[in-house]
Amino acid sequence: MSEGARSTAIATATGLAAGWLAMVALVWLYGESPRSVVAQLVGGTWGMPYGVGQVLYKATPLLFCGVAVDLALRAGLFNIGAEGQLAVAGLAVGAVGARLPAGAPAWMAMPLVVAAALFAGGAWAVVPAVLRARYGAHEVISTIMMNRIADAFVGLGLAAGLAIPGTVRTPDVVPGARLARLESFGLASLHGSAVSVALPMALAVSVASAWWLARTRLGRETVLVSLSPIACAAERIPVARRLAMALVLSGAVAGLAALAPVLGYKGYFESGLGAGAGFGGIAVALLGRGKPLGLLLAALLFGTLDQGGLVINGSVPMEITTVLQAVVIVAVALADARVRARLRP
Amino acid sequence: MLPLLALEHLDKRYGAVHAVCEVSLSFEAGRLHVVAGENGAGKSTLLKMAAGVVAPDSGRVSIGGTRLAPHSAREAIRRGVGMVQQHFALIPVLTALDNLMLGAEPVRGGGRLDRPAARARAEAVAREVGAALPWDAPVETLGVGDRQRLEIVRTLVRDARVIILDEPTAVLTPGEADALYTTLRKMTAAGRAVVVVTHRLDEVRDHADDVSVLRRGRLVSTRAPDAAGAARGAMLSSVTRDIMGEAPPQAPPPRPRARGPVALELRDVHLGRALRGATLAVRAGEIVGIAGVEGNGQRELVRVLAGLDRPGAGEVRIGAVAVVHEDRHAEGLVLPASVRDNLVLGELGRFASPFGVVDREALERDAGARLARAGVVPADLDRVTSALSGGNQQKVVVGRAVARVDRVAAFVFAQPTRGVDAGAARSIHDAIRGVAAAGKAVVILSADLNELRALSDRILVLSRGRIAGEFPPDTPDSRLGDAMLGGPEELAP
Repeated sequence: MSEGARSTAIATATGLAAGWLAMVALVWLYGESPRSVVAQLVGGTWGMPYGVGQVLYKATPLLFCGVAVDLALRAGLFNIGAEGQLAVAGLAVGAVGARLPAGAPAWMAMPLVVAAALFAGGAWAVVPAVLRARYGAHEVISTIMMNRIADAFVGLGLAAGLAIPGTVRTPDVVPGARLARLESFGLASLHGSAVSVALPMALAVSVASAWWLARTRLGRETVLVSLSPIACAAERIPVARRLAMALVLSGAVAGLAALAPVLGYKGYFESGLGAGAGFGGIAVALLGRGKPLGLLLAALLFGTLDQGGLVINGSVPMEITTVLQAVVIVAVALADARVRARLRP
Repeated sequence: MLPLLALEHLDKRYGAVHAVCEVSLSFEAGRLHVVAGENGAGKSTLLKMAAGVVAPDSGRVSIGGTRLAPHSAREAIRRGVGMVQQHFALIPVLTALDNLMLGAEPVRGGGRLDRPAARARAEAVAREVGAALPWDAPVETLGVGDRQRLEIVRTLVRDARVIILDEPTAVLTPGEADALYTTLRKMTAAGRAVVVVTHRLDEVRDHADDVSVLRRGRLVSTRAPDAAGAARGAMLSSVTRDIMGEAPPQAPPPRPRARGPVALELRDVHLGRALRGATLAVRAGEIVGIAGVEGNGQRELVRVLAGLDRPGAGEVRIGAVAVVHEDRHAEGLVLPASVRDNLVLGELGRFASPFGVVDREALERDAGARLARAGVVPADLDRVTSALSGGNQQKVVVGRAVARVDRVAAFVFAQPTRGVDAGAARSIHDAIRGVAAAGKAVVILSADLNELRALSDRILVLSRGRIAGEFPPDTPDSRLGDAMLGGPEELAP
């Protein structure tokens, strides 16, 4: 095992163990039996087909956003704005999907709604990208602010006629724009769960992102620019343009995360639909370490905890799983730094 | 007389780099000792060891005849050795007096700060060396000269008998530099030992009681040039030679090359305060060497030639150019990336399909050929570049540049062999001659006069942002040295 892989494995195991201990301690403090709560959590997620489906459904936008944040990280940028990019893309997908002709076939409708998601998410990252590339404004600040603006923008868009009057939801998207649920592919046991073909799409995007970074000129240069902007500028690689492009691409991928809840679950967009996956994606990217498999496992972990929180809500507050997620992230980051320092010769 | 501070066989390595090699030196009371040498010669490391800041691998530091133990800056200060670092250690928002007191605050009963006592002491010390400082002004409002004086006074307040200054004039205007030396003179007159690190030859000429020269981590010479006038000039020539390197072992072989039209031209180019009317023209197939004391516009000249900076005034006529930058760790290499990535840095477009997908086989072939031609050891494209030795890193940078010989009209090599071993230097020199033989215009900037002689068809001296003279390659050091020191006078800011 390479030194990097070993330190990652040690750090991840340490983080998970710390998270586990924190959860057990919290449950115990609430006066519940950790053993029975854990049994509930496992049983309600991976222990039954519907639970598995729901975990996969929750993991889908997390994976999209994890890939998005990771893509920016590989360019040395921290995209905190996936949340807003996802929200704006959700509105765009809902609005476009609902305005298509009722009988539009999938081959026509699907590219349009996917394009709407990509475009809206990417467009929402353009302002931070330009601010960063041209003026050096830090993307952490600008993407966070764009999140707040996105909330207001979505509300405005809904109020200004995109929603059914008197509601905060768009009309239903046309049938051709709906994403098929996996249960319709002979996986009937997932019955009722909202996991859809958005999941394989997310996997494909994850692999495509890794391929783009490794095998294309723009992707490779993006990585090199993050490692040494000075050396790249001296060899005439347009540093600012590469950074801006990476941030816009990241936003576009985050926009795709809206497909799962809007087209695979509800069939329309409503205020707040899909919220949380953008921030969750940051955790997925930090835990996933730039590897498609790592991102997938991290998305599944956080998807499990999201779903598990709902399952155990009867015994203990579901926020316990949120605490667990936070402990895992912090512990992994700390353990990683310590492990790296220890492994260094 | 017993020296105040003695360094005995100090030795220090940083990884593969032997920064300081078995250096012994002593510093005596009442003398101003200049330690001169190129960048990277080991001056700073040596004196940081002297001040306890850096621990030597072997050897010892003695203060007043007894060993410095433990080897720490705190102990060195307690024993009367103070150092003023190149980058000042002052807190901008605190006043000058507060900075002075920091870490050595005089207290009255109950732990109260005794400001009046501190102030009286500061003023007394400052008066002694002829420095007047605005004690109540925040440091951020002080000029660089005042900040430096504050640092000096701080060492004196702590009763330093030996004061070490690392490149003190690098940040000063000529007027401030003169004032600094006036201050330092008062300190030697009071029986202290003053050690100044510099690479400016004019300071050696005008101020040194003793001169020691370091080159590549070794002590080359120590002189006590008491004589004045002409003898001092001769001394300076020897110091220059010591700094730059030995006389060439043999005359460079004659290399008749066809000269083409002018392929690279600068006319009266200005850039900030660094370039002040640089003019030069290089023909195709010609190698022009540029000599000069560091900090006379070399870095800016390269950036203008490379097209990275646009000159404020003047004309630049240059076609496609390949540049080897002076600092391989900054402009030269993406250190955390592989040797492969660095050998083709900026050229991925040539290996990419119209859709931008890189043709890995073509890239592998090309990078492999470059690697072999550059003679990088180990010949491993996947190796992380930071894991290579300095010489092999430089071979990667030069190899990338010369691979572009068919696509550029001119080459610029800045310090192409700085810090590399003799073998790597030879292969880099061969590569440079190769691109000239292929009919390209070549500019070389080097601090090593022998390197310039060995390669150049003519040598230009860059001084204070202008070309101060043109010389055939067999010009002796002393004449080149005079041209480096002369040149147009400093313009008023």
